[in-house]
Amino acid sequence: MRLLVLVVLSVALMVFDARFTLLKPVRSQMSLVLMQSYWITDLPQRLWQGVASQFGSRTELVAENEKLKTENLLLQGRMQKLAALTEQNVRLRELLNSSALVNEKVEVAELIGMDPNPFTHRIIINKGERDGVVLGQPVLDARGLMGQVVELMPYTSRVLLLTDTTHSIPVQVNRNGLRAIASGTGNPERLELRHVADTADIKEGDLLVSSGLGQRFPAGYPVATVREVIHDSGQPFAIVRAVPTAALNRSRYLLLVFTDSRTAEERANDAAQAQEALDQHGGGPIIPATVPRPAAVIPAAVAAPAAPVAPVTAPAAATTPAKPVAAKPAAAKPPAAKPPTAQPAAVRPAVKPPVSAPATPGGRE
Amino acid sequence: MVGITASRNGWIVWLTFAVGLLLSVSPLPQFMEILRPLWLALLLAFWALALPQKVGMVTAWCLGLAEDVLYGTLLGQNALILTLITYLVLALQQRLRMFPMWQQSLVILVIFGLAQLVQLWLSALTGNRQPTLALVLPALVSALLWPWVSYGLRGLRRRYRIN
Repeated sequence: MRLLVLVVLSVALMVFDARFTLLKPVRSQMSLVLMQSYWITDLPQRLWQGVASQFGSRTELVAENEKLKTENLLLQGRMQKLAALTEQNVRLRELLNSSALVNEKVEVAELIGMDPNPFTHRIIINKGERDGVVLGQPVLDARGLMGQVVELMPYTSRVLLLTDTTHSIPVQVNRNGLRAIASGTGNPERLELRHVADTADIKEGDLLVSSGLGQRFPAGYPVATVREVIHDSGQPFAIVRAVPTAALNRSRYLLLVFTDSRTAEERANDAAQAQEALDQHGGGPIIPATVPRPAAVIPAAVAAPAAPVAPVTAPAAATTPAKPVAAKPAAAKPPAAKPPTAQPAAVRPAVKPPVSAPATPGGRE
Repeated sequence: MVGITASRNGWIVWLTFAVGLLLSVSPLPQFMEILRPLWLALLLAFWALALPQKVGMVTAWCLGLAEDVLYGTLLGQNALILTLITYLVLALQQRLRMFPMWQQSLVILVIFGLAQLVQLWLSALTGNRQPTLALVLPALVSALLWPWVSYGLRGLRRRYRIN
């Protein structure tokens, strides 16, 4: 008798939970207490990490520090080029009257648990509704897209990985823009492209990036690399297998992507200002070596229109080359900029404004 | 025996259930994931045999709901499974108590296997179907673990005179 009541009750609950959202608050309240158990079971790992970092040997730490510094330098160098490229991209898109690229903000989250069911690929992260996470939010790691948020709890959320059998993502071949859909296979090292024509131009080693067509994942993030393409004459479509670029079962720190709603221009300005602030706070002494090159090229083209804008952001060093007219001072600029302030840190502010500011006057001309 | 002494040290039962919940989400190496024993079901089976007046289907149902929240399955799915398991254990209670340990294990294997089949059926309904054969492995591992769990909990019960 009691069995009957309980069975009926659970079946009713299941149907209700599947069809309506009414039970979500109940679930989230329960999870508030229960999700602590993931945290607790993760504790030994965390303790171990803590102990390891306490007792890590000095040489190891120094080596790691060295490595990180090099990496940081490389990444910063790349970032510098990226700023210029972003500007260029914004300008070109303005010329084409096409919609602006959406810029994304990311926030770091930490993995606190795996789903115990081995047949689903889901993970638990330590950011939840109270941290501003929303349903369907994309999750990345350092190398590529990982998945999306499928369940929200107050301080945790559940992320469905790309390789789950119930997950598919619209992708594009980076080389030629060929569109396809990558579905999970249940194997953490494999995605499959469904319904790719036998004659499609896709080959081993191609990088697949998200196409943004599903309106869930932002466009342009790496998803997978094609591992093999099998043309079987008995099959209507080619069999394409790919390996996710993200370390789906190894990453511990993940990035949550927040798309932002600013316009392209605001974003460009903000980005430039942020970059400038960053530069003023100090970068490595080696970075300026890469900077003067764009500085020598770009002012030649835009030194004149930059004149009204430059004083706003740049210190005195920038105004000196801008006042003399024509293209000649551009060539003389690096030497002109150096005398006032000898340290390399001051050179960059002089360089940045011409890169960022002309975007507006250039577009209106 | 029932009702003569007031319930004593009942919190230890709940403590074991809490530990069971932790064990059921504790991280395991990849290859052992499909072998993860049904900890809660094992604990429920033991306590339902030992203290039927205290641990029954309602307890099982509540724990199942907790497990649903932890696993992110539909609310009620694991609750149904655990209720079924407890029901079967309670129905076979008189005989199970008389059985030697290996025979108990065998019965546990059958009960858990049935429960896993229901689980398969339910998850197929909700859209994530699993490879069929591997699904019975947790039941097998649980049956193999049953003697140890049983002896351990019996020792615990004797020591603290849980009633």
